[in-house]
Amino acid sequence: MDPRDHILIVDDDRDLRELLVQYLEKNEFSVTAVKDGREMRQALAGKTIDLIVLDLMLPQEDGLKLCRDLRAQGSTSPPILMLTARGDEADRILGLEMGADDYLSKPFASRELLARIRAILRRARALPANLVVAETARALAFGDWTLDTTQRHLVDAAGTMVALSGAEYRLLRVFLDYPRRVLSRDQLLSLTQGRDTEPFDRSIDLLVSRLRQRLKDDAREPRYIKTVRNEGYVFASPIEMRNDQG
Amino acid sequence: MPSTVPRSLWPASLFGRIALILFCGLSAAHVLSLGLLLYDRAQTVSAMMIAYLAKDVASSIAILERIPPEERKDWLPKIDRQNYRYELLREAGDRAAPTATAQRVAAMVSRELGSAYAVTANTAAQASDPLRFDLALTLRDGTPVTVELSPPDTGLSSWVLAALAFQLAVLALFSGIAVRIATQPLARLAAAADQLGPELRGAVLDERGPKEVTRAAVAFNAMQRRIADHFAERVRILAAISHDLQSPITRMRLRTDLLDDSTLKQKLQNDLAAMQALIEEGIDLARSVERSTETPIATDVQALLESLVYDYADSGKQVGLIGRVDSPVITSPRTLRRIVTNLVDNALKFGCEVEIAVAREMPDRISIAVRDSGPGIPESELGAVLEPFHRVEGSRNRDTGGAGLGLAIAHRLSSALGGDLRLTNRPSRGLEAELRLPG
Repeated sequence: MDPRDHILIVDDDRDLRELLVQYLEKNEFSVTAVKDGREMRQALAGKTIDLIVLDLMLPQEDGLKLCRDLRAQGSTSPPILMLTARGDEADRILGLEMGADDYLSKPFASRELLARIRAILRRARALPANLVVAETARALAFGDWTLDTTQRHLVDAAGTMVALSGAEYRLLRVFLDYPRRVLSRDQLLSLTQGRDTEPFDRSIDLLVSRLRQRLKDDAREPRYIKTVRNEGYVFASPIEMRNDQG
Repeated sequence: MPSTVPRSLWPASLFGRIALILFCGLSAAHVLSLGLLLYDRAQTVSAMMIAYLAKDVASSIAILERIPPEERKDWLPKIDRQNYRYELLREAGDRAAPTATAQRVAAMVSRELGSAYAVTANTAAQASDPLRFDLALTLRDGTPVTVELSPPDTGLSSWVLAALAFQLAVLALFSGIAVRIATQPLARLAAAADQLGPELRGAVLDERGPKEVTRAAVAFNAMQRRIADHFAERVRILAAISHDLQSPITRMRLRTDLLDDSTLKQKLQNDLAAMQALIEEGIDLARSVERSTETPIATDVQALLESLVYDYADSGKQVGLIGRVDSPVITSPRTLRRIVTNLVDNALKFGCEVEIAVAREMPDRISIAVRDSGPGIPESELGAVLEPFHRVEGSRNRDTGGAGLGLAIAHRLSSALGGDLRLTNRPSRGLEAELRLPG
């Protein structure tokens, strides 16, 4: 069996497909490139695919529909990286709602694509199968808070929207994905990195204290994120998944 | 006309000008016709008086002839009339040349009396009224008789003046009302045109009223629609081109990654990034034109601004935040974020130090000001940079990337949130963009 991860590219732009194949093969992936949904299903039937890079705008069946169909098949579907034109929020929200694991807006740097692909593969391996569902939950509730995963913000008990910075959101998602597990600073760093290219030069401790402040969590007697001496941090509150609107 | 009339007397408003002209014209006509009436009345009165006077003087002289000379004195009061009286044996005073009227009256009296009498008219030297003169004649026995005329008082009585003043007041009132009716639609038109703000959707004018006003309103509404359509079309084209350019740029971006020459690679990637910035602005502008579908929710503005500042810090850009707003504000958080991001991005382009100042100005209003230490914008350009497709020449130019739509987009989104955006040059240095939001 080929030890390389197998990436399936679905895009109707032939030149772009060729460029991506060239680049990803150079970076030690095996790559299959197809132009539409029909060919995508054929490829999925014939090969083991580890990740699909799916263009949002496709002729006939668009990326959203394909994404929805794949997710409907259940946990056997590989993770999906959605390519959108212009990183607009509407596309992003739709893409995440329809079950894409991440999105990348055109035009992108090839390094960025590589980083995203690696991050998704790492997450898919690290997560127990039953937690994959959390990816598609619209909202995660804990204590007084609800995290809206499509809009990437918190909502407090009174219904007030509380914004999170990109780094704060990523850290909170890691805690919510691994509840009641002690995570070391190195683990937190590697799990929060890779989803974005921006330099993540702040220490995890500073970020945790910022997140605690945002959650109105008392650092001396924290309710949500507890410090484990010499080991790291643990998310201590029970989490409830919600898929209903709001 | 404005050149000959001093500025202070010539009203600035159309209302004032038309009212003034109308009022002056109407009152001049009114006063003139009153004057003509008075003149005609005076003419008639004097003609009647002269005709009556000739006959009456003739009969009075006949009476005096028949009365014995010693009794004549007692009779004089009986033959005196209101406008003339008789005197016997009066010496002639200072004489001046008799007026034409006096000569005409003398001739008429002389005709009534017959050729036996010689009537002469004497006008007193200082007399101002043509009807104030004496007639001198001699009775058959040689006694001189003088008829002294004093004309009737034809001056205006005070009630006539009062009535005139009242009439002028009524005139002023009605010309005011008439002009108001004529100029009010203009004021409404101007107000509607003023409302044609960044949304380019002004209030629709009421298409009722007099025919001319209706026509103007219909034409104005049509023009407003055409402007909005034209603008929407322009934006649609921009959005379509911008959107379709993304595919070739994506390919070019990936092709540059395959290049070995790192200097060339970096330069090409910078160019592509600049093109992408232009495209994103075009698409954002198109999106800002569409009505925002985001539903307002209670938003922690403080957390929103803090997260924004942290995001900038994480990407290596320092943005300060001063002030606090603790109570939540009902607004559309994504739109608000977009506005502040645009303002900060713009400030970062031109100023090295950027800070956001947030404060609750009033119980129902917050202010978010983005300040930079850059070169600012010339005062005359401050309003124009908020319009799409406008670019400030000189210090803020294309070298810094983007089409200069960032502020225009922020402006449009601000009005969509029910707020307003104002630019001012700071007293020290740099620009301040202040967003005021209800909440």
